[in-house]
Amino acid sequence: MSGDKSITKRWTKAQGKANRVQTAVCTSLGILATLIAIGQGWALARLIAATLTQSVSTALPWIESYFALAIFRTLLAVLQEVAAIRAGSAARRRVLRDVLQRITLSGPAILRTQHSGTIAGLIVDRIQALDGYFARWVPASALWLTLQWLVVLVVYLENHRAGIVLALCCLSLPIFQAVFGIATGIASRRQFLAMTRLQTRFLDRIKGIATIVLSGATEREAQALAHSADDLRTRTMKVLRIAFLASATTDVAMVIALILIVSTQIQTLSPTSSADALTKALFAVLMVPEAFAPFRALSAAYQDRAHATAAAEGMAELPEVETTSNTQSPLNPAHPYALTVEHVSFSWGEGRPAVFTNLNIALQPGETLILNGESGSGKSTLIELLLGFIKPNSGRILLNDQDISQLSPRHLSNLIAWIGQKPVLFAGSIRENILFARPEATDDELHTALRLSAVSNYLPTLPDGLDTQIGEGGFGLSGGQAQRIAIARAYLKNAPILLLDEPTAHLDPATEQDILHSLKELIAHRTVIMSTHSEQAKSFSNKHLFLTKAAPQTTETEEA
Amino acid sequence: MSSHSSAPLSRIIRLWRPHYGRLIAGLILSELAVCAGLIMMGKAGQRMTAAAIGVSAGTLLLQIAGTSQIVLRYADRYSTHNAMFRALADLRVWFFQRLAKGAAAGLGFQRSGDLLSRIVGDVQTLDNLYLRILVPLASAALTLPLTAYVWCRANMVAGIIMTSLFAIMAFVLPFLASKQAQALGPSILKAESALRIAALDLTTGLREARAFGAEDILADRVTQSQETLIKHQHTLHIRMALMHGFARLLGQVGIGITLCVLAGVFFHNNHTPILAVTALFVALTAFENISGLSKAGLLTGKVIHASQRIMDVTEQKHTTPHATKHLPEGRDVTLQSLSFRWSEQGPLILDNADATLRRGERVALIAPSGSGKSSLAALLLKAAQPTAGHILLGGTDIADIPDDALRSQIAWLSQASHLFDDTVRENLLLGRRDLDDDALWDALERAQIATTIRNLPEGLDTWIGESGSRLSGGQGRRIALARVLLADAPILILDEPATGLDADTERAFLQTLNTLDDQRSIILIAHRLVGVERLDRVWTLENGKIISQAS
Repeated sequence: MSGDKSITKRWTKAQGKANRVQTAVCTSLGILATLIAIGQGWALARLIAATLTQSVSTALPWIESYFALAIFRTLLAVLQEVAAIRAGSAARRRVLRDVLQRITLSGPAILRTQHSGTIAGLIVDRIQALDGYFARWVPASALWLTLQWLVVLVVYLENHRAGIVLALCCLSLPIFQAVFGIATGIASRRQFLAMTRLQTRFLDRIKGIATIVLSGATEREAQALAHSADDLRTRTMKVLRIAFLASATTDVAMVIALILIVSTQIQTLSPTSSADALTKALFAVLMVPEAFAPFRALSAAYQDRAHATAAAEGMAELPEVETTSNTQSPLNPAHPYALTVEHVSFSWGEGRPAVFTNLNIALQPGETLILNGESGSGKSTLIELLLGFIKPNSGRILLNDQDISQLSPRHLSNLIAWIGQKPVLFAGSIRENILFARPEATDDELHTALRLSAVSNYLPTLPDGLDTQIGEGGFGLSGGQAQRIAIARAYLKNAPILLLDEPTAHLDPATEQDILHSLKELIAHRTVIMSTHSEQAKSFSNKHLFLTKAAPQTTETEEA
Repeated sequence: MSSHSSAPLSRIIRLWRPHYGRLIAGLILSELAVCAGLIMMGKAGQRMTAAAIGVSAGTLLLQIAGTSQIVLRYADRYSTHNAMFRALADLRVWFFQRLAKGAAAGLGFQRSGDLLSRIVGDVQTLDNLYLRILVPLASAALTLPLTAYVWCRANMVAGIIMTSLFAIMAFVLPFLASKQAQALGPSILKAESALRIAALDLTTGLREARAFGAEDILADRVTQSQETLIKHQHTLHIRMALMHGFARLLGQVGIGITLCVLAGVFFHNNHTPILAVTALFVALTAFENISGLSKAGLLTGKVIHASQRIMDVTEQKHTTPHATKHLPEGRDVTLQSLSFRWSEQGPLILDNADATLRRGERVALIAPSGSGKSSLAALLLKAAQPTAGHILLGGTDIADIPDDALRSQIAWLSQASHLFDDTVRENLLLGRRDLDDDALWDALERAQIATTIRNLPEGLDTWIGESGSRLSGGQGRRIALARVLLADAPILILDEPATGLDADTERAFLQTLNTLDDQRSIILIAHRLVGVERLDRVWTLENGKIISQAS
C-alpha cells in the first residue's frame, strides 16, 4: 500500500515537472491577478476614506482607477481560465503519448496481465479526467501559500496591527489542518471514493440487469442496491461530519480575522482621523476575504487530485518502456525462409508448469506444419512465441539463420502474417480494415487480395461495398465474412511466413469449407504453421506436430 | 420549447418527493449561511464607517453574524450532502426498477454494454443536480430580495440597476451557458465515443497491430480522436471562460455603481455614507458569490441531456398483457405456428414454425450466425412477444403465465450472462438466502469448477472482479453455469454458451454440459456443432421453419 503511494507520488511529481511551463503561465497570471486585487482593494479603501472625510473631489480618480483595474482583472481572469484549459490539454496529450508508447512497445503480452477494456478505460476515462488536476489543482497547490502571504505582507506593510492579526489567523490554517488532517481535502477525497464505489456497484448491476431480471432477482437486487446506498451514506456522513468540521476551521480563521481587525481598527478611528489612517484600516478589512481565497480555491480543486491518483495507479500497472536498440538490418520479406525452433523451453511465469521443455521444430521454406493437441497443450503459446509476442525462457527461434529475438518487432512482423481464431475488425471501412496490413498497397494489389480471399464475393451484398463501415457501431459481418477479411490482410501483406491459430474454429461447417478453400491457396509457397482441429485442414500437410499437456516433452511425427 | 426540454428534469425532481423536507431544509440552511456571510461583511463596513464618522456602535451584531456564518455553513454542508445522498440512492433504485420492469429482459439479447455504460454515466451526471445546480441557484434567488433591499436603501435608481445586474449574472448568464452546453454537448459526446472506440480498437487489436506492424496506425487514431475531443471541449470551455469573464465584469460594474453612489457621482447621495458603504460591502460579497454560476448553467445543459436520455430508456414500454394463469403441471414446450420478427420491417426469423421439446430432452437449435436464433430464447423467456402463434408450456400459453412464474421454470445461460463484481458466493446466490454452502459446492462440482474455487485463497468468498476479470473466460462461464444449475429450473436454455471462448475451452465446456443430470430439458442454441455434444435431437432453422432430426 505504501509502495503504491510512493509510486503515485513519484508519478505526480514527474507529471508536475513535465507540465511546468503551463503551470508557470497559470501561476504568473495568478500572482498578477492577486496584485491587481490588492490594487483594487487599495482604490476602494482610498475612495471610501475620501468620501467619509468629505474630500469628495479626490474620489473620482479612485473610481476611475478601480474601473481600469477591474477591466484588467477581468481580462486576466479570462486569460487565466484559457491558460488552465491549455495546461489541462497539454497534460492530457503528454500522458496519452506516454501511455500509447507503453502499450505499443509492450505489445500483446500486456493483455496477459490486464484486460483490454481496463486499458481502454485508462485511455478514455482516467486520462481525460486529468484535465482538472493540471488545470486547477496543480496551479492552486503551487500558488496558495505565496498568494496568501503576499496579501498578508501587503496588509502588514500598510497596517502593522491588522497585518499581525491576519498573519496569525493564516498561520492557524496549517495548524488546524495538522489537527484535523487535510481539512476539506479529506472530505472531498472520501466523498469522491464513496461516490465512486456506489457508482461502480450501480454500473455493475445495470450491466447485468438482464441476468438479474431473468433469474427473478429484481426485487432482491433493488433492495440490496438501496441498502448499500444507505449504508454508504451513513458511513460517508460519519466521515464527512468530521471533515466538514475541519473545513469549518477555515471559516473560523477568516471570521476571527475579520472581527478582530474590525474591532481593533475602529478603536483607532474617530471623526478627526486622517484619510490616510482610515484608508489603511479599511484596506485591511477589505483584504481579509482576499487572503483566504487561495486556500478556498485549493479546497475546491481537491477532487481533481483524487482523479490524478486514480490515473497514476492505472499507469503504474503498465510496464515501463524499454527501448532496446536493434542494430540488425531488416531481413528481406521477398525471400523464402526456413523456420527453426531450437531447444525452446517456456513457462508462463516462475513456479508455473513448463508449457514446453526443449521443443525442436525444423521447417524448410515452403513447408506446412500442422499443430495438433488437446486443450491447454500450448498450441496458441507456440504461435505467440513465433510471433515474438512472448520470449522463450531458453532456446532460440531462427528464421533462416537469424535469431528472431535479435529482430525488432517491426522487422519481425514484416516477415510474418497471422490469422487467429477471430479477427479484430476496427471501426472503419472494409478498405481501411484490409489496407491496414499494408497501407502503401496499390489498388491492383488490394483487388487481387479481395479476389483471392473471396471478400469480393460478398462485397455486392453490403450497403456500400468496399466502403461499408464495419467494426464497433458499423455493419455486422458474420464470422466467415470477418475471417475472409483476415485472409485478405494476409494476402495483401504477402509475407513469406504464415501462422494460423485455429482459423476455422468458430465457423459453421459450410463456411468452414469455403474458408479452407481460400486458405489452401494462401499457404502455397509459404512457410506455414497451423493449429487446427479440422480433419480437412489437417490434410493440408503430412508434417504434423503433436503437443501434449501431460508430458511437456514433445515429439515430432512425420506421417506418410 | 424550454419547458419541453426541461420536462424530464422536473420528472426527476418529482421523484425526490419523499425527501423534499430534507432537500428544502438543506436549501434554507445554505441560503441562511449565505445571508450570514452578507450580513457579516455588511456589518463590518457599517461599523468601520460608523467609527470614522463618530457614531458609536458595538460589534455585537458583527460577532453574531460571524458566529452564525460558521455554524450555518457547517449545517449547510452537512444537511445538503445528507439530503443529496438519500436522493441519489432513490434515483438509482428507481432507475434500476424502471429498467428491470421495462426493457431489461430484452437487453440480454442485444449488444447493449455501451448503451448501459452511457446511461449509467447519465445517472451519475444527475448527481450534480441538487448540490451544484439547485442549491446555488435557489440560494441566489433567495439572496436577491435581501441585496435589493440593502442597495435600494442607499439609492433607489442605483439599487434597481444593481439588482438587475445581479439577476443577469445569477439567471440569464447561466441560462445562456446551459444553452451553449446543450448545443455543443452532442458533438463532445460523439468525440468521446469516437475516442472510446479508437482506444478499444487499439487494446483489443493489439495482436493484429503487432502482427501487421500497424501499432502506429491505431495509436495515431487514438491521438487524433483525443485531438478532436480537445478541440470541441476547447470551443465550449473558451465560451464558458468568456461568459464567466463577462459575469465578473458585470459584478465589477455593480461594485462601481455603489462607488458612484458613495461619492455622489451620477447618483445623488442624500443619506449618511453608512448605507452606501454597507451596500458596497454587501455588493463585494454578493457578486463574488454568484460570479461562478455560469458553471451551474453549463452543468444544467449536461443534466438536461442526461435526463432526457434516461427518460427515453426507462419509458420503453414492455407490452406484456396481464397474465394471471397458474403454472401448469407439465413441462413440455410446444411451439405452435410460431412467427417472429424483431421489428416491423425486419425479416421473419420464425415463420409458422412448429416444434416440441419433451421433458428431459436435449435438443440443439442450429442456425448460421446472424440468423436470429437467439430470438427463440427471448420468446421463451417473454423478453419478446411472438408476431403470431403461441408457445405452450405444459399445454398453457406462456402469454397467460406471469413473467416471474415462467422465468422460475426456465434458466438461461448465454454469452451475455453477467458475472458481478462481487464474491463467488454472491454471484451464485444473486441475493438468495435459502441455500447453504453445500448446495453451492454441489453446483460448482457439477459445473466442474469446484476444484479451482477450492484452491482460491478465500474459496467462496473470493472476489471475482469486474465481469469476472480475475477468472479466465472458461472459468467465468462455468460459474455462470453453476448459478444456472442452482436455479433448479426444469428447462435450461443455453444460448451460444461458449461464444468468446477459444476453441479448446469451448470443447471442454460443452463436454461438461453432457455430464448434467437427465431431469432437465436442454435447448442448446448454436451456429454449429463441435461434435462433443450429447443430444437427443437437432433442430435446424431453415427459412423460418424448424426441422427436427434425431441425433
